[in-house]
Amino acid sequence: MILDIFKKELKDTLRDRRTIIAMIVVPVLVFPLLLGLSTTVTKYFADKQKEEVLKIAVVSNTPDNLFTERLSAIPDSLGPKEIFYRQDTLGLRQEINEDSLQLAFIIPPTFDSEQQQNQQSTVAILHKGVNLGNKGRITTYLSIIENTLLEDRFERLSLDKKLIKPIHEQFIDMSSKKEIIGKVAGGFLPYLFVIFGFIGCMYPAIDLFTGEKERKTLETLLTTPVPRWKILIGKMMVISLSGIAAAAFALLGMFAGLRLFSLVDLPGLSNVIDGILTPQFILGLLALLIPLTIFFAGIMIPATIYAKSFKEAQSVLTPVNFIVLLPAFVGMLPNIELDYTTALIPIVNIVLATKEIVAGTIDPVLLIISYAIMLIAAAISVIFSYKRFGKESNILS
Amino acid sequence: MIQVQNIRKEFELSKKQQKENNTNDKVALAVEDVSFTCQPGRIFSLLGPNGAGKTTTLRMLAGILKPTQGNIVINHFDIQKETNKAKRDIGFLTGSTGLYERLTANEIIAYFAKLYGVKDEDFKQRKEHLYTLLGMHDFQDKRIGRLSTGMKQKVSIARTMIHDPDVVIFDEPTSGLDVITAENIIKLISDCKTQGKTVIFSSHIMSEVDLLCDDLAIIHKGKIIHSSTMQEFRDQMKTDNLTAEFIHIINENN
Repeated sequence: MILDIFKKELKDTLRDRRTIIAMIVVPVLVFPLLLGLSTTVTKYFADKQKEEVLKIAVVSNTPDNLFTERLSAIPDSLGPKEIFYRQDTLGLRQEINEDSLQLAFIIPPTFDSEQQQNQQSTVAILHKGVNLGNKGRITTYLSIIENTLLEDRFERLSLDKKLIKPIHEQFIDMSSKKEIIGKVAGGFLPYLFVIFGFIGCMYPAIDLFTGEKERKTLETLLTTPVPRWKILIGKMMVISLSGIAAAAFALLGMFAGLRLFSLVDLPGLSNVIDGILTPQFILGLLALLIPLTIFFAGIMIPATIYAKSFKEAQSVLTPVNFIVLLPAFVGMLPNIELDYTTALIPIVNIVLATKEIVAGTIDPVLLIISYAIMLIAAAISVIFSYKRFGKESNILS
Repeated sequence: MIQVQNIRKEFELSKKQQKENNTNDKVALAVEDVSFTCQPGRIFSLLGPNGAGKTTTLRMLAGILKPTQGNIVINHFDIQKETNKAKRDIGFLTGSTGLYERLTANEIIAYFAKLYGVKDEDFKQRKEHLYTLLGMHDFQDKRIGRLSTGMKQKVSIARTMIHDPDVVIFDEPTSGLDVITAENIIKLISDCKTQGKTVIFSSHIMSEVDLLCDDLAIIHKGKIIHSSTMQEFRDQMKTDNLTAEFIHIINENN
């Protein structure tokens, strides 16, 4: 009987355009679209910035100064530039404000002699701080000039560079690429499936309870000789499956965006993704998604069975969405790890466990505790749903 | 057969409802001490103004609501103790019966047949009989959302009758329907009587009551204020017509 209800509800749900959009279309497309868009836009602006000719004024008492010489020597591969000589600062502020000049270096008349005497010179830099792209280039230019001047000094003084750098660090990172990505992207993965798991559950939950109440089909269903718990479980299975499907499609969309369309240019990323997408990982993830989506269904059903209209159900579930996202967000924070405390917090434990699974550093005991806690939370939510579904004032519109 | 003995139904009032109704009572009494019997092969009509307790009574009969007190027996099954056995014998149809808009007529009928535990061979035979009777073959594979009101009502009837129930409950079955569709329902109710089924229906339309009824009860403010056979009702009338008599009885009990 439960299977008959499940099959019918699934058929009905799969014919609902809103659910299909929330369950398949949005999860599959959202990540490749967001990633594609952000990569394209970032690349476009980076390229534009690289090609943009930076107009630089050097204010000095003479055009032939050491600073201008070193600045001119910087290759155009680091960004094309045009250098203008100015004797004074007259009109500079206006030119920079009007963007006819992007940058001005004010060099003291004593600059060359100060450098010869190994002294420090003060160089004023006029620029517009809001232009973040230019700021990067200024820093690069100054660093190159400073380095060349420093090398001159070492040569003059016949000193070894090592004198000012007593330690030469050699960091040897023992973590695998999988671990690094696990720690960094691992927090994002569960966040993604918590969001889409929730959204995937939301529309079928509203449709199968509030919708049935509104359309008066629930009353008809309750006249049949089927125990209420069987009706509830049949419907809940569809809601949970829809959440799992939405989360799975979201992950599929993300991996497809990264792997097939190479939306992120990161060396070795494909190998890491292949390393992550093992049957064990997929099965492990599904195992975590089952209690998670049952829990979601369990907290949504009382709200949707209480609501009298689709709109009311949506407005009741929207704040619930934020409550659920909060623990998912906690999982993205650095330094919060799966331990004997966090494993006891529903959703947070799933998020952190996923992070560890991705990194391949999961402690099986903590995984079992997390899973058990999530199962208990799911069971409590099912019992709560059953109680609300049995309440006469809730089931009749 | 339906036997209703001293049923009472109270609804819990939320604080919001208490405020809206301007009352401190924690419960609202919908039905009080209602008793009647509906015999097989007879049509029993439950009459009453809006809010009298008709729908609540019929919902208790259909097993959707539980009585606070009293007993309801459907074909020897106590609806509270043997709910599912009793429900197998009931067909329930209302004027506002909802259907799944995204499913086809065939899918809905097959689904309800499964829920009622109709065997495959019985299902085929029963479905064919109902489709022929109601003229449903032309639109059996169309989704409900694309059907006219009349077609939808035919699907509702087929859904109600697919398990061949002994007891059929009609709650204002013609409410809001056009004349032709309403006529189909009247014919169905009449056919149920011919087939020896126990029929109970509520209505506001006295011409339907006059045409179909064998027995009737008038419910007002949750209590039965009149109960008799249709013939007795006609014989005892103090006014010219059924509608006037109905209003007269209600006013007398206000």
